[in-house]
Amino acid sequence: MTLLFTLLREVSLREWRLHPWRQGVGVLAVALGVALAFSVHLINESALAEFSSAVRSATGQSDGALQCPQFCDDRVWDAIQTQDGVVAASAVLEVDSYALDAQGKRQALKVLGLDALTIASVAPELLPRVSETMLDRLGFLDPQRLFLNPAALQVLQVRDGQTVELQAGLGLRTLTVAGTVAAGGTALAVMDIAGAQEHFEAVGRISRVELRLQTGRTLQALQNQWRAQPWWPEGARLQAPEEGAQRVSTASRAYRVNLTVLALVALFVGAFLVFSIQSLSVSQRTPSLALLGVMGLSAHQRLGLVLSESLLMGAAGSALGLLLGAGAAGLALRWLAGDLGGGYFPGIAPSLQMSPQSAAVFGTLGVLAALTGGWSPARQAQGMAVAQALKGLGGTDVRSLPPWAGPALVAAGALLALVPPWQGLALAAYAAVACLLLGGMACVPAVVAMLLHRLQPRDDARLVLALGRARHERQEATVAVAGVVASLSLAVALTVMVASFRTGVSQWLDQVLPADLYARTATSSAASDGAYLPLAFVQAAAALEGVQRVEAARTRPIVVDPKRPAVSLVARPLQTGAQGGPGLEPRLPMVGPTLPKQALQAAQASSGSTLLAGYVTEAMEMLYGARPGTTLQLTLATEIGTVRLQVFVMGVWRDYARQFGAVVVDLDEYRAVTGDQRVNDIAIHAHRGADLDRLQGALRALADRASLIEFAVPAQIRALSMRIFDRSFAVTYYLQALAIGIGLFGIAASFSAQVLARRKEFGLLTHLGLTRGQIVGIVAAEGAAWTAAGAVAGLLLGLAVSAVLVHVVNPQSFHWTMDWVLPWPRLIGLCVCVVLAGSIAAAISARAAVSTDAVRSVKEDW
Amino acid sequence: MLKVQALGKQYGQTWVFRGVSFQVSRGELVAVLGESGVGKSTLLNGLAGLDSVQEGQVELDDTQVLGLSEQSLAHWRRRHVGFVFQAFHVLPHLSVSQNVALPLLLLQMPRAEREARVCDMLQAVGLEGLQTREPRTLSGGQLQRVAIARALVHRPTLLLADEPTGNLDQQSAERIISLLRQQVHTLKAACVLVTHSKAAAQAADRILQLRADGIWPG
Repeated sequence: MTLLFTLLREVSLREWRLHPWRQGVGVLAVALGVALAFSVHLINESALAEFSSAVRSATGQSDGALQCPQFCDDRVWDAIQTQDGVVAASAVLEVDSYALDAQGKRQALKVLGLDALTIASVAPELLPRVSETMLDRLGFLDPQRLFLNPAALQVLQVRDGQTVELQAGLGLRTLTVAGTVAAGGTALAVMDIAGAQEHFEAVGRISRVELRLQTGRTLQALQNQWRAQPWWPEGARLQAPEEGAQRVSTASRAYRVNLTVLALVALFVGAFLVFSIQSLSVSQRTPSLALLGVMGLSAHQRLGLVLSESLLMGAAGSALGLLLGAGAAGLALRWLAGDLGGGYFPGIAPSLQMSPQSAAVFGTLGVLAALTGGWSPARQAQGMAVAQALKGLGGTDVRSLPPWAGPALVAAGALLALVPPWQGLALAAYAAVACLLLGGMACVPAVVAMLLHRLQPRDDARLVLALGRARHERQEATVAVAGVVASLSLAVALTVMVASFRTGVSQWLDQVLPADLYARTATSSAASDGAYLPLAFVQAAAALEGVQRVEAARTRPIVVDPKRPAVSLVARPLQTGAQGGPGLEPRLPMVGPTLPKQALQAAQASSGSTLLAGYVTEAMEMLYGARPGTTLQLTLATEIGTVRLQVFVMGVWRDYARQFGAVVVDLDEYRAVTGDQRVNDIAIHAHRGADLDRLQGALRALADRASLIEFAVPAQIRALSMRIFDRSFAVTYYLQALAIGIGLFGIAASFSAQVLARRKEFGLLTHLGLTRGQIVGIVAAEGAAWTAAGAVAGLLLGLAVSAVLVHVVNPQSFHWTMDWVLPWPRLIGLCVCVVLAGSIAAAISARAAVSTDAVRSVKEDW
Repeated sequence: MLKVQALGKQYGQTWVFRGVSFQVSRGELVAVLGESGVGKSTLLNGLAGLDSVQEGQVELDDTQVLGLSEQSLAHWRRRHVGFVFQAFHVLPHLSVSQNVALPLLLLQMPRAEREARVCDMLQAVGLEGLQTREPRTLSGGQLQRVAIARALVHRPTLLLADEPTGNLDQQSAERIISLLRQQVHTLKAACVLVTHSKAAAQAADRILQLRADGIWPG
């Protein structure tokens, strides 16, 4: 151990001082990988922790809640209070809506209608604290008063005693801020339940009843007992307090894992850079390592020395990476508010949650990556034939992987790609990608050997020299080619994945935005009952000059599986008959064929009940098995009571907007069954030549408060969507740049090592009559040939990886499919850039080497 | 014929040698003796145009060597000069025959003629049967034979040998010098052999002594 420390100090440290930039790049590469992975982890964990904390503060000491399907009759509350086993019960009406801030801009606000007399015993943090200036005994019961939590006070920029304009439907209610509530999380307003029912036209309705139970009573037992009773609302269930947070955690898990895997890719690339740097370093130090070998440093100690250097590089990189990662996470939480583009934590403003355990895990990953990268060069130092190396006759005997390892890994990758997801995570597919990448790289030596074996030039001195060299130093040729393969395959895979998704989204937008103008007031389906367009508004819009027709849509969240996020029920006109066809016309981006109308009629006849024709998204098919020809049972609370919709699945469509599923039914049929006349979105088809700006103005004039309606033309929606897309995928662009950059560095390092070892050869060639330019040309041509071979292999491997990402990882993680789009100009551009860069790197290295005096070169001992 | 006239080389303000003039005929082996540091190797490199000299002229068969451009010098060396080094400089990644064939490859000689030339040359230096061997499997003496074969295979008019026996035992050294002498005579090349070994120099046709003030018969 003492010897190792001495060698590190006396040999390695001097080497690092000689090449500080090179070691610095290695440390930085590990640091970037660790920083990216650690920051993604911290941001996600902080957002989850904040969300859980908000849920906990909102449920307080509640043992659970009776959760209604959308809403229940408030007589349920009366009934449940008298049930055996219930200590306390408090009804809550929860409505997602909007309020205007000081600048008149709409801000999302969750409104809870509560009973102040009972809420204290189940959720004390929701108990209103009446402002000192507004003290009166029954102040809370005033329907014109509300109480805001700290997030709402901050977002709306109001103080006690000031008024807030709260949106209900398409109108505004002016309410007074009468105090605060302690609950954390997103912007929240609490008011008396009767007031909330009145403002949101929900008289007699509640969303849930928070419960405190007698000791020993369980939710499951009570649910079994109560379910048979007449007051039990259809579709209701008893829900444990932690279920909400768990649901968000589960819903966002695939996205979080995907981001983490992407971040780990950066670490993998970092490991490759360590490999390149250490390979170069070992090549350069071959004579000194051989000399140390002669002086008694054993092969095992040489291995230990190079591994220790890698470990130090990894440790330094990890330490820096953890600092950078924590800093980046802090900034991201401030700017992006914990939402990394997935939209799972809207409105959350979490604080950074540092955990020593996770820091240790990611720090260790960085060190492991560096050790992995340093393993092969260390083995190279270990396997060095000392006497031969001292004579300059090569002499490194590295036992590489067995020849079957590469093809076996590739085959394993192909098989793993067929494995279904595990608990919603595409773990096998990620393993498939790893196997393909590693297998592809493991195949490189065999491919290089095959190429070298097949090429037998005899007449061209340059080729004889280049191939003779490559055969003799196959390890170095392999490093150069593997560098290209690793970096290019990653870049190609990410390019194809992003291009496929981007093209998919772009085509999808074309299909789902057929109208000339769109208007809505709720920006999320959660707020569809707090902010909506009245039927009268829609009818008035349809009567405006220039309007050909208006298509209204009603969107409602429905819980199909309590363990999963709600799916969206979208009611919109389906049966237009405009094309004169016999079947339904969903006018949706369908995936596969749709069933004919006769299938629906046959299903209705055989079931004996009324079935609604429905079109489900791919997520519904993947998560709930809703294939064409099956029937979905959806429970919906309506004006006329709870109804059970039976939706016959006619076809599957592609939806990039709702990851957890959506069901589209016909609006007229929906209204007939539910009596619900509310509308959330309208699509306006204008007459040819109509002035859309004028039309927008006329529509605004129909609303009491024009600012409550958001208008957009398809071009704006498309531009915004693509902007959001590009922002969400910014991390992949960064990874592509990193992969290419590190790959090029690897190529340059590898060629530098080769050229360095060939300095004497170049000296000899000068004596034999070659000019410097000719020598540089030979090396550049070698560089071009090897990088071209690597580029072809990297391109093929990248395409295979991208196929797994597009066809397996995406559907398994996000429940949507896309076409495999190959952006050839960009891919060829990438390959050409890499080949050019490789040739230039080789030429620059050679130039530096031949600038050394040829006379001096041949004087040096070989 | 090699004609060297008033050749001088200086580093900074210090002259390594100055006023060096001598001639070497085709088929003649001239040994240049001198103490370490006197500039023997520098003289050889100056003759080949690989090292700059500050004054003097080098002429080989009517070609003024020192006036040539880098490109022309390289071409001239390729065609007319052979080198033998103390440290052999046999490329480890090429076989024996590939190493020997290298100058012919650079001259783009047709394959059949090249292979015949290499075969003859290997036979001449006593390496027949070792064509496909890798350099790491050869002894020092064999490596130097490969280097000599490579230096002579293209039939240069000037052979420059820099301490060719420096890394060899006495017996091997004698064989190598004998081989050099024989080949120089056979191929009618002018050969300048730089050495500090008097034994090696004894085998030369003529001995010169290099000193700072010029070159003198030894």
